[in-house]
Amino acid sequence: MGLFTAFLDWLRSLFFKKEMELSLIGLQNAGKTSLVNVIATGGFDEDMIPTVGFNMRKVTKGAVTIKLWDLGGQPRFRSMWERYCRGVNCVVYVVDAADHENVEISKSELHDLLSKPTVAGIPLLVLGNKNDIAGALSTSELIERLNLKQFQHREVCCYSISCKEKHNIDLVLDWLTKHAKS
Amino acid sequence: MASNAQDNHAPLRAQDGKKDEDDEEDFEYSPFHGIEKGAVLQEARIFHAAQTDSRKCQQVLTRLLYLLTQGESFTKNEATEVFFSCTKLFQNGDANLRRLVYLIIKELPPGSDEVIIVTASLMKDMTSNNELYKGGSIRVLCRILDSSLLQQVERYFKQAIVDKAPVVASAALVSGLHMLRENPDIVKRWSSEVQDAVQSRNPMVQFHSVALLYQLKSGDRLAISKLVSSLTRGNVRSPLAQMMIVRCVARVIADSQAYADQERPFYDFLESCLRHKGEMVIFEAAKAIVELNGVTEAELAPAITILQLFLSSSKPVLRFAAVRILNKVAIDHPMAVSNCNIDMETLISDQNRSIATLAITTLLKTGNESSIDRLMKQMSSFMTEIGDEFKIVVVDAVHKLCIKFPTKFRSMMSFLSSVLREEGGFEYKKSIINAILGIVRTVAESKETALTHLCEFIEDCEFTYLSTQILHLLGEEGPKTSHPAKYIRYVYNRIILENATVRAAAVAALANFGMRVPSLAPRVRVLLRRTLRDNDDEVRDRATMYLKLLGDDATGEQQEPTPRPKVLRGQNVSLAGLERCLREYLDTPMTEAFDMAGVPEKELVPVEASKPGAPGASGSGDLSGDLSLKSDFEEALQQIPEFADLGPLFKSCDAVELVEKETEYTVSCVKHIFASHVVLQFDMTNTIEEQVLEDVSVDVDLAEAEAYEEVLTIPATRLPYGVVAQTYVLLAYEQGTMPFGRMVSTLKFVVKEIDPSTGDEEEDGFEDEYPLEDVYCSPGDYLQRTKISNFRNAWDAQDPDTEVVDEYGIGQRDSLQDAVEAVVETLGLAACEGTEAVPPNARSHVCLLHGRTTAGGSALARVNFGMDRNYEVAIKLTVRGESQDVSESLHAIVAEG
Repeated sequence: MGLFTAFLDWLRSLFFKKEMELSLIGLQNAGKTSLVNVIATGGFDEDMIPTVGFNMRKVTKGAVTIKLWDLGGQPRFRSMWERYCRGVNCVVYVVDAADHENVEISKSELHDLLSKPTVAGIPLLVLGNKNDIAGALSTSELIERLNLKQFQHREVCCYSISCKEKHNIDLVLDWLTKHAKS
Repeated sequence: MASNAQDNHAPLRAQDGKKDEDDEEDFEYSPFHGIEKGAVLQEARIFHAAQTDSRKCQQVLTRLLYLLTQGESFTKNEATEVFFSCTKLFQNGDANLRRLVYLIIKELPPGSDEVIIVTASLMKDMTSNNELYKGGSIRVLCRILDSSLLQQVERYFKQAIVDKAPVVASAALVSGLHMLRENPDIVKRWSSEVQDAVQSRNPMVQFHSVALLYQLKSGDRLAISKLVSSLTRGNVRSPLAQMMIVRCVARVIADSQAYADQERPFYDFLESCLRHKGEMVIFEAAKAIVELNGVTEAELAPAITILQLFLSSSKPVLRFAAVRILNKVAIDHPMAVSNCNIDMETLISDQNRSIATLAITTLLKTGNESSIDRLMKQMSSFMTEIGDEFKIVVVDAVHKLCIKFPTKFRSMMSFLSSVLREEGGFEYKKSIINAILGIVRTVAESKETALTHLCEFIEDCEFTYLSTQILHLLGEEGPKTSHPAKYIRYVYNRIILENATVRAAAVAALANFGMRVPSLAPRVRVLLRRTLRDNDDEVRDRATMYLKLLGDDATGEQQEPTPRPKVLRGQNVSLAGLERCLREYLDTPMTEAFDMAGVPEKELVPVEASKPGAPGASGSGDLSGDLSLKSDFEEALQQIPEFADLGPLFKSCDAVELVEKETEYTVSCVKHIFASHVVLQFDMTNTIEEQVLEDVSVDVDLAEAEAYEEVLTIPATRLPYGVVAQTYVLLAYEQGTMPFGRMVSTLKFVVKEIDPSTGDEEEDGFEDEYPLEDVYCSPGDYLQRTKISNFRNAWDAQDPDTEVVDEYGIGQRDSLQDAVEAVVETLGLAACEGTEAVPPNARSHVCLLHGRTTAGGSALARVNFGMDRNYEVAIKLTVRGESQDVSESLHAIVAEG
């Protein structure tokens, strides 16, 4: 049975093959690389080292091949985010919802980036990570704090997720595959 | 090194690609034809495409690399743009594409804040399973990692060093070498892994690990010595690594203190390497032996034999390497190389001109007198075919040869004059001129021929510097020849044809003919008068001055020639002194003519002092320092009326402190030596704030220096706190002697206390004394350190009867150099001909010293130094001077000191 489904998947991928490219950004320690790992392998590791530069990953989910540019979140890399957001299908912005102090910085970095003409109109997915921790911001709070309503001419979506608990990861994948182009 | 190893693989692939293209295109087509930066930058946009075409990207990257290696410069913006688009290529898994990406990251210099963006991707590659990825990424990482990041990936580097794949291990080892500069502490922790890598079976890995291991230990001489001895015993098969070990051994030998009677360490190893299979090992070992410090003929022999075999090799590179080494050896050991002469002869006709040149110059050094003519002939046949730098080599060789065989000067001079007429750069012509002048100096009879050649040369010389030099020489030497008249035409032609600088030099030269050769004076006057209308100030001024000197004024009337002033008689006049005298003269009513006799003479600054880099350079620096100090003192002493009639100051000795530091008063003494007087100048400072000293003088007891007679004392009237004041004591001695002795001296003064609250000083003071250390006079004080260029001539010119010889032990010294410096310092003489520098590891040394006495005569000393195992130094002092007294005085210095 399993084999049969896999075979069907493969057949379907031959005919309905879709591809997408997205960049994954956000402040350091927001959980970007963890999200990539969860999406790609389903595993979660507490012990991560900061990404120096970027990781390039390709993940195939069903008929969709996703190219992920997972960028480092340290201040020295933030000026270079924009270069990896040009021409992608969507920008995924990860926020540490439990880290109340840095939400303000997170907001200003996001607004800085999206104000650039090269990334105009690209759909934005904001993910409030670490919702397993008590006191994490809810979706509506996050929309409020990041002032997401301000973005007029682009599609914006916001989810509250947990990479550790794998909570709402399926929602994220659904949203992503919907934005893939054929 | 890093790029080399990668290139080893890269071209192979590139060729595959090229072949495909060639099939489609015309065969003559160059893949790099017409590549333009703007177009390539446009093409680089395909890197951004969602679906990257690996093949196309490779072509664009290759073009980019081509542009970079062609020296095309990218603006900061362009480089950044290309760099970031290249980073997008990390999504493509194609191995060849990835390797081109590595190369471009290394070649493009993006800012360090930007290049960091690829770190994570490279670290991923470094830990991947693909060997090519691993090696390439390691080589890029070593360029961009800082020390904190390096610590994070250190363990991967350690693993890579012992990786099974040679590509990876070599990459890690070479990266280690690079990073050793910035992060030595981290790389030093890898030494056990590097040790393992030495055992690798791959020659390249072995080579790189030996190199890194040597660098790791290079700070520690003992560790290096141990390492080298273990490596020489060890089982290193790779010729590259073996060659590296030979180099290390050579450096260890150069660093170690070997003595003549001891077996040289590692010599056996070097000799065994001469029998190695690999040519590069053999060559390196031969080179190491040849470059050994103080190598003996016996040690040289096996190396020379091997190099001789190389001379007849079919490979040009081996022939070149061997002949180049032999050429160097021939300078110091011509006999050792003469065995190879037959092989060298055949090399003269070698197709490669560099080899031929080296062969012929070697032959010139080793050959005997009979073969010279033939060699010269062969040489002129191919002089036109070689570059300027090799021509200079040849000319230098001819120069040296002429010193060796003076009788052959004719053929050499004609060779030099023929090459002088050929085309050539400034350096080349200069070396020819130097060689000709050198020949003139050694072979007197060659002078006229040489002057004729030089005259012809300046007829068509494009170098102002050389023209002026030659004109000066003509002016000096021309009048002394048998037919001075024939040079006048050449000199006068310069005045008509050349630029202002050369014209001025020609005027001076011409005037010299007129002054030295009275019969020519009328003709010179006519010629000089024509230059009075020259449009250059300097030329006109010179012409006017010389005409005046030749007894001619502008109207053309004959007058009694003006006596030539001192300045022009070739005597050295102190320019500062001349200026001072002229200023003083201007203050007088100027009713009398200015008297040149009152102008002090300048010290003869030795010619060889200007030789840069020579060991004597530091000594000459001191000498000029002395001169300026002396003229300062001279000026100060001139102000004191009592000393006005002592005559010119001969020498001022270095200041000597006469009290301990940080006492109530500091006193130092400077001895000024005049022809028959010594002025003791005491510089005093009062360091007590509550005191003022008055009527300060130094009392000198001459009981132990009976040759002196005290003439007068000039006290300092007042010595307040913190001010330097002088008191002088004038001593007389018999002119021409060099008296010495000890003088007990005491400071005498009147102290007045100062009330600290009001600052007023007391009315009445009291007399007080303060003991000073003794003042010593030594015979060395009466000697001026002056260098001479030809010690032998000066030595022979002295009366052998004045020679005094004795031997002394001067105790334990750290090295012979120390001993030489101490003796030269004590004797007060200057070392000549660079003999103050002792060759390293020498056990004996001869030092030639010269000085001038107050009477204007010379004092020469030949000092033989010897050192035994316990560093005890003995000297044998041979002195000749203007009189036996002088010689004995010099011995007294050593005996006393």
